Amino acid sequence: MSNTLGMYRTVKRLGIPDSNIILMLADDTACNPRNKFPGCVYSNAARNLDLYGDNIEVDYRGYEVTVENFIRVLTGRVDPSVPRSKRLLTDDRSNIFVYMTGHGGNEFLKFQDNEEISAFDIADAFEQMWQKRRYNEILFMIDTCQANGMYSKFYSPNILATGSSEVGQNSYSYENDNDIGVAVIDSFTHHILQFMEGIDKTSQKTMQDLFDVFDPVKIHSTPGVRSDLFHRPLSQTLVTDFFGGVSQAEVFLPLIDTKTSMPPNGLDSKQPRAQDDPQDDAVDDDSGVFPSIRGSYDADLLALSSGKISLSSQDGMPARGARAWTSIALVGALVVWVGIRTRAKR
Amino acid sequence: MDFHYTFSALVAARALLAFAPLPDALKYSQQLSSPLTSYARLKEGVYLFSHGIDPYSGGLFRHSPLLLSAFTTLLPLKDPISKLLWTACDAAAAWSLVKIWRLRQRVGKSSRDGLIAALYLLNPYLFLPSLALSTSSLENTALLVAVAFACERRSSASILLLAILTHLSFSSIIYILPIFLLLTSSPVSNLASPRPFALDFKGLRKAVLPLVGEYFAYTTVLTAASTLVCGGSRAWVEKTWGSFFLLPDLTPNPGLWWYFFTEMFDHFRPFFLMVFSLHLLIYVLPITIKFQHDLLYATFLMAGVSATFKPYPTLSDPGLFLSLWSLFPETYSYLRHPIVTALIHLHGSLLLPLFNHLWLATGTGNANFFYASTLVFGIANGAGLIDAIWAGLATAIPVKDGDWDVGQE
Repeated sequence: MSNTLGMYRTVKRLGIPDSNIILMLADDTACNPRNKFPGCVYSNAARNLDLYGDNIEVDYRGYEVTVENFIRVLTGRVDPSVPRSKRLLTDDRSNIFVYMTGHGGNEFLKFQDNEEISAFDIADAFEQMWQKRRYNEILFMIDTCQANGMYSKFYSPNILATGSSEVGQNSYSYENDNDIGVAVIDSFTHHILQFMEGIDKTSQKTMQDLFDVFDPVKIHSTPGVRSDLFHRPLSQTLVTDFFGGVSQAEVFLPLIDTKTSMPPNGLDSKQPRAQDDPQDDAVDDDSGVFPSIRGSYDADLLALSSGKISLSSQDGMPARGARAWTSIALVGALVVWVGIRTRAKR
Repeated sequence: MDFHYTFSALVAARALLAFAPLPDALKYSQQLSSPLTSYARLKEGVYLFSHGIDPYSGGLFRHSPLLLSAFTTLLPLKDPISKLLWTACDAAAAWSLVKIWRLRQRVGKSSRDGLIAALYLLNPYLFLPSLALSTSSLENTALLVAVAFACERRSSASILLLAILTHLSFSSIIYILPIFLLLTSSPVSNLASPRPFALDFKGLRKAVLPLVGEYFAYTTVLTAASTLVCGGSRAWVEKTWGSFFLLPDLTPNPGLWWYFFTEMFDHFRPFFLMVFSLHLLIYVLPITIKFQHDLLYATFLMAGVSATFKPYPTLSDPGLFLSLWSLFPETYSYLRHPIVTALIHLHGSLLLPLFNHLWLATGTGNANFFYASTLVFGIANGAGLIDAIWAGLATAIPVKDGDWDVGQE
């Protein structure tokens, strides 16, 4: 469980809100009666950080974590009674990070001791998502025994996958805690989390940098990467594209230039684009949202630039000054006229 | 000469106060500036205009285009110059008030001149909005100078200033009838001996119609000037004059309209806008007819009506009403509840900024607090208006003292 919680914490730290994370925990180690530290889950033997803590939001827990629910969440075919927090509300601009961990084998992952999900199921689910435009890019990460088999069956575009061990290999845990009595985190996940410690929201580290730190000797298994379905070069794909909720803003020059006349640009070219990078933990989503930076004042300016509001002085300053002076001259003339009339009457 | 010293001292004190650093609480106070009179919005509009954007295409700028042209040509809109200008306008208004007093009393100068000027320049309701550079001070100046010219029978000057005042604040059309009739009569006090208006209907038509024609002519020229400044577009009409009828901006102010219309369903809005606007108009004829013997008093009462029922009042409007009261000492002994009015005014004027702060700054109150304080303030204004009407009428009624009827001349 600390695998998932570690990823969850990382992704939250980098900016993905709970509303964009679907956390599925089948096991409740934190509240297990045999947990020596009730309500706490640690990821290292020194017990530095309690991953469970006070403010985690678990969407599917215990017996709700089933293959059927997982596939339903991915494909969006949920019962109308399912609340929004348990739905994957992504669209075609969302990047999804799918992280799975547990006991697994060649092309399967065990759920709840009585069922398993196969690589074909996940591949078909992703294809359904592609057909329904439910994702822009997917990062699929899996930490089980013989993990690399799980991503071998994908056939939909824009999927980047990585697993902890080759087919026929086991994945190992990182260290044991003698007080709790079990291993606290797995090796592959620990390795990735170590790398992520050095990442913050502004980091420009790429996925290639992440994959370069995979060391089979340290991890005790051979991690794999599948990038043939991925359309971008890994050296240009930022880690925060998947792990962080970072939006990018572009700054344009001021619209109003008093010297030149208005450029007749359409609204689209002037609209700042923001790339949102949704991240997942177990499964989480981040629907691409264009942050609205415009207040009503800017909206008027933008509408002006697209020629929708007629500009009173397209010709610039001289005409404006002339108009103002003429109108003041009119008022002055009135004053003079009134003065003359008053003088004449007296 | 004594008055001149007093006057100069007051104006100098006001100028000094104007140049003292002004706290933000006053600069952006909703009691002192309304959306139609705020200095920040004026600066915004002038900036937009000088950068080639029509300031009336948005909903922020609601000042008259004449102010636009004035501040982009004659005077730049810089803080020190504006402060001097506003102080000068207040000085002109106080001077006009003294002139009206002297004409009413038919004296060249009196011992009360200094007091009257002080009652204008030191009235907190008037000098606080002036410090905040709210254009309502300019409106007050225009009105007082117009009334002063009317008392002097300088009809053209008075009508021109009324036309300018209409452009600055459309709700001042309620002053037209009393001031025109004042132009054809005299400001001398007739409260104690009311008599019907000197002119009959035909004479009235002969006297007033040319004035009305002149007023419309001046207004048309000013409208043409305003349209010219805006480059031929008439969008400014809806934004400036239309604000009085359509109430587009529901920023809180000390008036009675805004809260009512925040709660209004859109379905009923046109009806109630019409009702509120008509309400302002219905006072014109009755007050003018009832006080046809003393039209300066009728003008004073219209100022009270405007203060209470205007769409976007600031503290300047009741301030004008209270300062004008100094012109009518003959009514003081007939006031029924001056202390109550004064205390409710004090109460309301303390509650207004307090509840505004509680609602908008600290967040421990809500809009109903501030609305209640505007109701108290409305009661204060209403009590003052009612008392003024009563005292004006009661001045005419002689008091029995044994066998004698004691009247007043």
